[in-house]
Amino acid sequence: MQAQASGEAVLRKEMLQTRDPFALELIKNALVTLADEMALTVSRTARSFVVKEALDFSTALFLADGELIAQGTCLPFHLGAMPFAVRSVLNTFGGRIRPGDLFVTNDPYDGSTHLPDVVLVRPIYREGALLGFSSALAHMTDIGGRIPGGNASDSTEVYQEGLRIPPSRLWHQGVPDENLFRIIERNVRVPDKVIGDIRSLIAACMVGEREMIKLADRYGSGPFRQYCIDLLDYTERFTRAEIAKLPKGTWRFVDHLDGDGIDPRPIPFVATVTIGADDLTIDFTGTSPQVRGAINCVFPFTLSTALACVRSIVDLSIPNNAGYFRPIKVIAPEGTIVNPRPPAAVAARGITGIRIADTVFGALAQAVPHLIPACGSNLPEVGVSFGGTDAHGKSFVYLEFLLSSWGGGPDRDGMDACTGTLVNYSNTPAEMIEADQPLAVERYAFVPDTGGAGRFRGGLAIERHLRFKADDAVLQIRSDRRDHRTYGLAGGGQGAASDVSIRRADGKVDHLPAKFLTRVNKGDVFAVRMAGGGGFGDPLERDPDAVLADVVEGKITAAHAREGYGVVVGGSPPGIDAAATQGLRTRMRRRS
Amino acid sequence: MATRIGIDIGGTFTDLVFLRPDGRVERAKVLSTPEDYSLGIATGIESTLAGGSLRIEDVAQIMHGTTVATNAILEGKGARVALITTEGFRDVLEIRRLRMPVLYDIRWRKPRTLVPRHLRFEVAERIDHEGRVERPLDEAGARTVVERVLAGKVDAIAVCLLNAYANGAHEQLVRELVRARDAAIPVTLSSELLPEIREYERTSTTVVNAYVLPVVRHYLGRLEAQLRARKISRPLTIMQSSGGAMGAAAAAERPIHIIESGPAAGVVGAAELARRLGNLSLLSFDMGGTTAKAALVDQGQYLRVGSLEVGGGINISGRLLSGGGYHVRAPAIDIAEVGAGGGSLVRIDAGGGLKVGPESAGAVPGPACYDQGGTQPTVTDANVVLGFINPVALAGGGLPLRRELAVKALEEAVAKPMALTLEEAAWGVHRVANAAMARALRAVSTERGRDPRDFAILAFGGNGPVHAATLARLLEIGRILVPPVPGLFSALGMLFPAVERHYVRTFKRDLAALDGTALEQAYRAMEEEGGAALAEEGFAPGMRSFERQVDLRYIGANSELTVAHGADGGNDARSLRERFGAAHEHQYGYRSDEEAVEIMNLRVIARGVATESHVPERLTLGAEAPAGMGARQVYFGPAVGWVKTPICARGDLGETWRQGPLLVEEFDSTTVIPPGARARRIAWDTIEIELG
Repeated sequence: MQAQASGEAVLRKEMLQTRDPFALELIKNALVTLADEMALTVSRTARSFVVKEALDFSTALFLADGELIAQGTCLPFHLGAMPFAVRSVLNTFGGRIRPGDLFVTNDPYDGSTHLPDVVLVRPIYREGALLGFSSALAHMTDIGGRIPGGNASDSTEVYQEGLRIPPSRLWHQGVPDENLFRIIERNVRVPDKVIGDIRSLIAACMVGEREMIKLADRYGSGPFRQYCIDLLDYTERFTRAEIAKLPKGTWRFVDHLDGDGIDPRPIPFVATVTIGADDLTIDFTGTSPQVRGAINCVFPFTLSTALACVRSIVDLSIPNNAGYFRPIKVIAPEGTIVNPRPPAAVAARGITGIRIADTVFGALAQAVPHLIPACGSNLPEVGVSFGGTDAHGKSFVYLEFLLSSWGGGPDRDGMDACTGTLVNYSNTPAEMIEADQPLAVERYAFVPDTGGAGRFRGGLAIERHLRFKADDAVLQIRSDRRDHRTYGLAGGGQGAASDVSIRRADGKVDHLPAKFLTRVNKGDVFAVRMAGGGGFGDPLERDPDAVLADVVEGKITAAHAREGYGVVVGGSPPGIDAAATQGLRTRMRRRS
Repeated sequence: MATRIGIDIGGTFTDLVFLRPDGRVERAKVLSTPEDYSLGIATGIESTLAGGSLRIEDVAQIMHGTTVATNAILEGKGARVALITTEGFRDVLEIRRLRMPVLYDIRWRKPRTLVPRHLRFEVAERIDHEGRVERPLDEAGARTVVERVLAGKVDAIAVCLLNAYANGAHEQLVRELVRARDAAIPVTLSSELLPEIREYERTSTTVVNAYVLPVVRHYLGRLEAQLRARKISRPLTIMQSSGGAMGAAAAAERPIHIIESGPAAGVVGAAELARRLGNLSLLSFDMGGTTAKAALVDQGQYLRVGSLEVGGGINISGRLLSGGGYHVRAPAIDIAEVGAGGGSLVRIDAGGGLKVGPESAGAVPGPACYDQGGTQPTVTDANVVLGFINPVALAGGGLPLRRELAVKALEEAVAKPMALTLEEAAWGVHRVANAAMARALRAVSTERGRDPRDFAILAFGGNGPVHAATLARLLEIGRILVPPVPGLFSALGMLFPAVERHYVRTFKRDLAALDGTALEQAYRAMEEEGGAALAEEGFAPGMRSFERQVDLRYIGANSELTVAHGADGGNDARSLRERFGAAHEHQYGYRSDEEAVEIMNLRVIARGVATESHVPERLTLGAEAPAGMGARQVYFGPAVGWVKTPICARGDLGETWRQGPLLVEEFDSTTVIPPGARARRIAWDTIEIELG
């Protein structure tokens, strides 16, 4: 009886029909779920704070030719970078890849984007043929080199930055390469954490392998591959349709980094965005040549950043795969800070990625002013690394990236304290820091009056005070936005500048440059104040009630209400002096 | 004889289930009364009493799941709360963990902070991570703060000081200072509610408790008054998110424990059923109008997670991305939810792909076939077109349906744009909805290292039994169970839990240097607290049991795993290490025996032991439906096509297998048994289906 055909057979028959418009949706769903399952495996089993709290890792699946078919919902900054690792493995080992192999690279010029990011690539075989790859990447707590944490911004060559592993076989047909593992162990400061994180990546790759084979079992390798190709085409169509909705034209924006930590001169970034009928080009021509310090940003990271920015102005349900990349072209001239030549140092390229994003958003804001908020300080621009030996003679490394708030938007205030869309960072609980590190957190709070004034206020800066409980430790800081502050839009003001200082145990206060390396001792208190977000729109048009609410909340002072917004607040409980406000605002308008 | 009543309140309907000691089940569905939910409950009970089959004297107990705490948060209608915290940390509550629940979304807004900044106060004090006082509380300053707090006319106070998980002395001092000025205002101390490390999570949990406390206390007071007015003075027990029950008075003090009480009840019912059927392993699948929920029941036991987010919306990658809602650190049954249900809207995206949900047509206008003005097709419209759902009226003869409206909506929104036949389009919608729901089932199985094929699906909720068979095939699951009263199963589930209290305390130290005496002391203290709580609910010393657990992790790892700290010894460092290693391997597929392990938290579950089982051996539905209800055409996919499918009632199924295709229609749902599958009725009036 035909009606008794088994469920599997029914399903397979449907799939094998030349055109099943729903298989696409089913495969897409399965791949996204799978990439997320890989990501969960990493987040649950990883050892380092960077992976756990910052979600500074990514997972992905590829077809045999290296086309990205799914990426986990991890770090948007890795969006376009993962395919480079698979390409490097294919370039190095093409034709010599065997079942049971597992590859590793952290070479920023050959598959990774800086040395702390270790990428694993696992070839997946089904019925003796290469089906695809699963891959996982995570930022290690340490990768050796001059400075604990591997993020020093003052190195001048990649050779100083730590252990550099070119694309290599970590496993030969299922057998781990003990030599390579020992080399890694001996070259990093916290081998248990680093090896633990590598194990966690291996576990994720294995989950990806097992489940991708199951998927192919359901449809057969050939149909599975075809559906994946259809999925990429669908994604490309979807992306083009979204771009087609945007206004056509060319827009240019310039932003700066204050300096590279070696050379104090500002570093310009130029982004020219051209939106065509159904494609989009981002051209970084005009951006600074590569610099001496370690903030050069290799092309895969530049590309990722640009792709992730565009992702914010198109439909959120577009899948993360190679089809999304096709309509978007990124031009970054070789020899610039956004596409350096080896052996330029690159460890602290994260800060450059942030400025690339700020610049691209600045250009996009002119194309779609109703969508893009003013510049935030919501990306992890401030890097703190602290290392030494504790009272028990054990070495420790503390690494954290800090961020604060959003810029004001076209119809809303900037969110006070929230990660930006290009990362998904979390902060480290003060209580965990105190329980695990020789540190005490003395303050973690908003700083009033630091949000850029605007019809929609920029978000507030956050400050963090850390007291050291160990002697003779190394503190290394990377910060920016001191000379070139977060930009406002549509007449909104800039956010407040960042600042760092150390109050020594003897009470003396050292004011420090934005990027530095110093020794600290027990009792010293390090204070970092991040930048505030930019404002959106004319501050004189801000609703006086909103200004009053900010005063009541202690987010701005009455003095700032008067100077920044022309609103006179006084009395107890505080109220608006309407007549004085009107007069002041009129005078301020006349002045401007 | 004593009858027990289970009550589950939903946004539209309040479900009541009456369970008699002989196992007979009666049910009632009344409209919810959101302005005062206790009215709807009273009406429901009254109407059943008026039916004459039940007398007030027969009622032994009322078990209740309520969304009143959740609603207070979602609607921003909780209490005016002040927060007192350590100098330098008043913004912790608003800074949160910084994280967003979605990537790339520049339109996302973070939830409003429950305590505005001007009601967050700081006191000077400092306790270190080992509980040592580094700086004594500045009492003079604290007194001034208390004055300002009370001048702020707040309804409740939350106190959360840094490192208070290690020593609550300063928090207690603050409370004494409040009490000296105001004896009545509710004060929640973090060190009593949740002595667990991580200041944001503890602060948020403490604040949520204070925020909903006055609302929950008021609601439960109203409900008890309503019941008393009807001469029902039986104990009122509230369902907890953790799957245990707690007395109404305790729930009013610690409302963070009752936030997800409705969804938990369904899983508790599933676990009870699994135990009765021989410790089965099940995936519970609860599909309603807007969402589908899944949970794993392993040999009759459900699993728990340590926290949940209230008001975070539905997020498929919720386990990775968080921050959408208000964080509450309290044990809850591990339930995954996706935005796919009968009312989920169907559309085609810009790339030409078919999308189902998470937007829902809701109760109004509802699916197109409801004829209430909805024109966009929903999953229910597709199921009506396919013949899965009775095309004339909702099962039970309630709301009349108009199939032609479902046809029109699907034709226009799906079939024509995609150049498909009507049934191809409807079949596609049904399958895409399944793909979304499969993610919830995978989230509780594959993501936990378990293979869904090792489980049976237990399907309930109004739409669960409609989708179970096709969903099971997608996941290669061969067996389905449909419990009695599937559409009201959560209300039935309310009747099963034991009284339980959960306690946690951070006890962070290296396992290798374990001090057994200190550990034992810490457990004893928690058990004393639990014992006192059980005494208040009427359990004599001999009727209390305690389960010890310990959270362990590899030093520096992200998350802890909870393992048993056995009552019968075997808890030395080496045994705990081994138990943890095995659990880690089970969960994540590997273990690292050379790595150091540390204890993070100790846990105690205190349970009240009932004198006799309060659940009868068998359950039977009160009224037998008429036999043989005809047949209709049903579409089972392109390989099978349209098949004339007989319709029957649950009561028509017997112990012997009956071949599909078959539809079981009843009061609150329709069970679809496809061609090639077979079905029978087993214990507890449950339908068992085997797929071919």
